[in-house]
Amino acid sequence: MPTESTALEFLWLVPALPLSGFLILLITEGRLGKLMVALVGAGSVGLAAGVALLAGMAFVERGGEPYVQTLWSWMDVGGFSASFTLYLDGLSLVMIGVITGVGSLIHLYATGYMAAEEGYSRFFAYMNLFVFAMLMLVLGDNLLVLYLGWEGVGLCSYLLIGFFHTEAENGYAARKAFVVTRVGDTAMALGLFLLFRELGSLEIQTVLVDAAVHWPDGSTLCTLIALLLLGGAVGKSAQVPLQTWLPDAMAGPTPVSALIHAATMVTAGVYLIARMHDLYLLSPTAQLAVAVVGLATLLIASFAALTQTDIKRILAYSTMSQIGYMFMALGVGAWSAAIFHLVTHAFFKALLFLAAGSVILAVHHEQNIFRMGGLWRKLPVPFWSMVVGAAALAALPLTSGFYSKDAILLTSWDYAYAGPWFWAFGALAAFITALYSARLIFVVFFGTQDTEPHDRSGLNMWGPLVVLGMLAVGGGWFGLALVADVLPDGGLAEEGHGGWLAWVTGAVPIAGAALGYLLFYRRKINLDRLVESKLGDALRRFWLGGWGFDALYDAVVVKPFVALAKANKSDVVDLLYQGLAALARGLNRTLSLTQTGRLRWYAANMAVGMVLVLLIVLGVV
Amino acid sequence: MFTAVGIPLEHVFILAGLLFLIGFTGVLVRRNVIFLLMSLEIMMNACGLAFVAAGARWAEADGQIMYMLVLSLAAAEVAVGLGLVLQLERRYRHLDIDAASELSG
Repeated sequence: MPTESTALEFLWLVPALPLSGFLILLITEGRLGKLMVALVGAGSVGLAAGVALLAGMAFVERGGEPYVQTLWSWMDVGGFSASFTLYLDGLSLVMIGVITGVGSLIHLYATGYMAAEEGYSRFFAYMNLFVFAMLMLVLGDNLLVLYLGWEGVGLCSYLLIGFFHTEAENGYAARKAFVVTRVGDTAMALGLFLLFRELGSLEIQTVLVDAAVHWPDGSTLCTLIALLLLGGAVGKSAQVPLQTWLPDAMAGPTPVSALIHAATMVTAGVYLIARMHDLYLLSPTAQLAVAVVGLATLLIASFAALTQTDIKRILAYSTMSQIGYMFMALGVGAWSAAIFHLVTHAFFKALLFLAAGSVILAVHHEQNIFRMGGLWRKLPVPFWSMVVGAAALAALPLTSGFYSKDAILLTSWDYAYAGPWFWAFGALAAFITALYSARLIFVVFFGTQDTEPHDRSGLNMWGPLVVLGMLAVGGGWFGLALVADVLPDGGLAEEGHGGWLAWVTGAVPIAGAALGYLLFYRRKINLDRLVESKLGDALRRFWLGGWGFDALYDAVVVKPFVALAKANKSDVVDLLYQGLAALARGLNRTLSLTQTGRLRWYAANMAVGMVLVLLIVLGVV
Repeated sequence: MFTAVGIPLEHVFILAGLLFLIGFTGVLVRRNVIFLLMSLEIMMNACGLAFVAAGARWAEADGQIMYMLVLSLAAAEVAVGLGLVLQLERRYRHLDIDAASELSG
């Protein structure tokens, strides 16, 4: 089939295009005009999306056989070899579709959003590098290449969170994100070392096959490796207990929040676990841990989102909770539903962030939702985008989020370990999600108008909003058949649950949205007394601060570390060596006293020495 | 052939020792370089005396050969030493050896 495979042979262009965009922007160092920068920055990702689309079509035509393209050998040392090999199957195709598709829309949006900012070229250089690293992460056939992409996206995340580097807070947020995710990455690296020691290979497909042969069910080593990899996923995907960096990551420009901290990078953990699914199937303990981590994050982040006042922090917490859903889905065995939710989430969360960016730009960089209000007439495109995005986030029927979240919740009911509990808490979180989505819409766009907005978005900004809006609605209608061959559950459940369970699951978000309508639009129920009561206020502060995790880590990790560093500031370890140096210096000073430069003094000393030597030789002394 | 009949070797050694001490004291106490060189000369002659006396006592030529060596050494030393004296005079305008102590540590 020579004609069918031609498009697949250009697969290498998909990561190569953003990389070349990055290199061009890097080498020209901002000397290009804005139009050129926009063309290179957004164009390279757009072209990559086109190539990815063609490759995807060829892939489907071929019948879904995994396509392997070896580019070159990276290293080949003493029995260990790693090559730059791209591996395209249903899962990685879905991922590159999301990365290049949503990525190019966000790049297009950013050409408008960042127009007034300093460092236009630098911004697109970082963004292109990010897209390249993310593509290497999902296309890598080898865990080493995956790890390269993994660290690459971490670097870009750091660079872009601290993009407005003139303010110290942003630098702090960037460092926090980098350090916290590094904790997870260390666990992941250890997991990879162990995996290599045990199986002697890092090729993903080989590892998955060998793991089943090497480890019978319930092997401790397998559980350990799976848990270490989970550690990496938890750090990158901002799950409990390493979630604290994500809300602060909102210091970056809004398109960055949309692309990196909502649509793609933070879902890398989900991809990793889905990719390494056989390890988790071999170790039910590790899989349960994945589900528990997901559920805990889901609940914690939902409640925290309920009380935030910064529009981007609301979205950040909602991202955490939605990724929590994905983790829970992976844990309970709803593999396809997790990836499905990853895709729909990428659509509606990118939409929400970009719409929020337009709103923020229109109200002169105000981010507090209580200082907005009544904007819906003035900002029709952001308003409708936000409504669509929030509806999908809340999983209202017929939106994309509804299908994916429903699939997750209904599958979790059947989970062997306390499935109904997972369902119940998941449904509770879905209720809260709908509630805070409604709060977001009603507070920002309705009520009294506080600021006069200036809609400054051109076609390049509202175009992506419209496209993403359509995807956020329709992105879930057709399911996700592509991953069926890759993931162990063989695609989304066909019939699923009928009866009351499906009805309740579908109705919960509507109830949440309705309550939000009553609370924040009609204001039928007055919340002031609840909020002003002692308990209510304490709870609000607790949730506003993200359940006190920052304070906890500050007390347990940061403060002791800083104290230790302060104690060691004067180099306690060096005291010994400083002592040696001081001793030598003292001896030198004493001895150099004898070095007077006076000839007669030397002569006298020689005589005394001679006499002493003579006396000793003669045996007198 | 001349023999030192009647003069015991010990006496010659005591004389040589006294001469050596006188020369050494001169080295230690004089600050003028010329006198220093002269004191060194005395010390060397004390050594030479001891060599000659010992050579005569045991009827060996070594003592006299050593004396020749001491003589030529002294000549060489004076050549270098006078050169140094001239340099010292040119640089410091005096001959005080203690003033030339730049090598102090």
